[in-house]
Amino acid sequence: MDSISRPGRPALAAASAAGVAAILVAWKAASLALGTELILPSPESVLKAAIGLYPTRPFLSGLWATFLRGLAAFGLSAALGIAAGLASGLRPMIGAALAPLLTAIRATPVMALVLIALLWFPSDFVPVFAAFLMAFPIMVTSATEGSRAADPRLLEMATLFRVPRLSVFLRLRLPSAAPQLLSGAKSALGLSWKVVVAGEILSQPRLALGTGMQGSRLLLESAGMLAWAFAAVALCGITEWLFSLAVKAALRHGV
Amino acid sequence: MAYELRDLRASYDGSPVVDDISLVMPSGSVTVVLGPSGCGKTTLLNLIAGLKDADSGSRLGFEGCRFSYAFQEPRLLPWLDCRGNMDFALSGAFPRASSGKAERIDRFLEAAGLGEASGLKPSELSGGMRQRLSLARSFAYPSDLLLLDEAFQAVDLRMKLELMDAFLRLFREERKTVVCVTHDVEEAAYLADRAVVLSPRPARVVDSFAVDVPRESRAFGSAATMEAEAKLYRLALGPT
Repeated sequence: MDSISRPGRPALAAASAAGVAAILVAWKAASLALGTELILPSPESVLKAAIGLYPTRPFLSGLWATFLRGLAAFGLSAALGIAAGLASGLRPMIGAALAPLLTAIRATPVMALVLIALLWFPSDFVPVFAAFLMAFPIMVTSATEGSRAADPRLLEMATLFRVPRLSVFLRLRLPSAAPQLLSGAKSALGLSWKVVVAGEILSQPRLALGTGMQGSRLLLESAGMLAWAFAAVALCGITEWLFSLAVKAALRHGV
Repeated sequence: MAYELRDLRASYDGSPVVDDISLVMPSGSVTVVLGPSGCGKTTLLNLIAGLKDADSGSRLGFEGCRFSYAFQEPRLLPWLDCRGNMDFALSGAFPRASSGKAERIDRFLEAAGLGEASGLKPSELSGGMRQRLSLARSFAYPSDLLLLDEAFQAVDLRMKLELMDAFLRLFREERKTVVCVTHDVEEAAYLADRAVVLSPRPARVVDSFAVDVPRESRAFGSAATMEAEAKLYRLALGPT
């Protein structure tokens, strides 16, 4: 029988580099075909705009502010989502009570959420609120699944040895739920950045990547707009990568 | 002092599982209950521990009694090391940090031959070491009665000997009242102070007798235990 062998790390890195090169070639070709920098600036124009933009104070302040908003939204959704999800998993009545709210949030378009939030909150907090709401159901679902992941034989052992409930929760239920929680957290983190930047574009806080992107668009600086957008992509990619590294380290140390 | 079951009957969905069982378990002794697979041995343990209600009969001497368990599979938390697993099981019995829990854990890990392995996780232990950890945990828990549910099964002969030796070392370290259910005649003859033979389901006591062989002269399959083994085989297999 044929077996599928997994290629080595250098081969995978080469494949990824080839993928990036293909995107750049296609981008350059499309840019040449369109023939106008306003509709689709070339890769080198965007690179030039990025080199000019990234060391500036407005960019770095905007990047930092967006980073803090994303972190706040993710932190809130993780804390409240895990608490609500674990409670739902252990108490089906709580799960049933939460279900309509989660369905409503899932069905609401991001832009509608941002527009509603604009009426309620200052512009700085609108992206945080919108991202929190979008990431919250993901965390609730993964925590609910995680709460049911504990091995019933281990739970029986804990009952027979009369292990206190808090200990059972912290040392048995929570570690059992870790794979689901971490996978949910990774998805929630990625979504948080996207919604935060979308919220910033609409709510226009003073310091933000989204505000910078919108400013460039209004000035018809397409290359600048893409440079801001790439910063958002990089922020998302780097934080997800760091999160994965932290998760791997935590799992290696037996969390 | 002894723990006693008197005329105990139990059933599942109207089907009798345990039928009129009377049993005396002298304090500080090992009572081995021998019976064929599926005869109701685990139900009997659950009745002893009060995890299942009897249809009729009585349990005497169990007021305020604390139980510990060793199962057929070790039931260890894979993310905790040996010490952490012991600490988890003992956390209810020793709620305060300064209550001698750490010393007790060390003592029983040492007695089970796991002193050097205390920092290892279950995935880093052999099957025998995992089962020894489970035994150490059940002995370290300050229980009055230790219940072993086929704890030496599902392992090869060499590992079984290793486990039973560990059991006897731990038993010497802390002499608890032990009830061990098994379907293995040699195991029963090797470990028991008192052997009880059950019938096929519904379980009834076919016979019970004291194994009068000093522990120090017992060995697996030895001449000293041969008489008890022969008697157990006769009772377990019934008239042929």
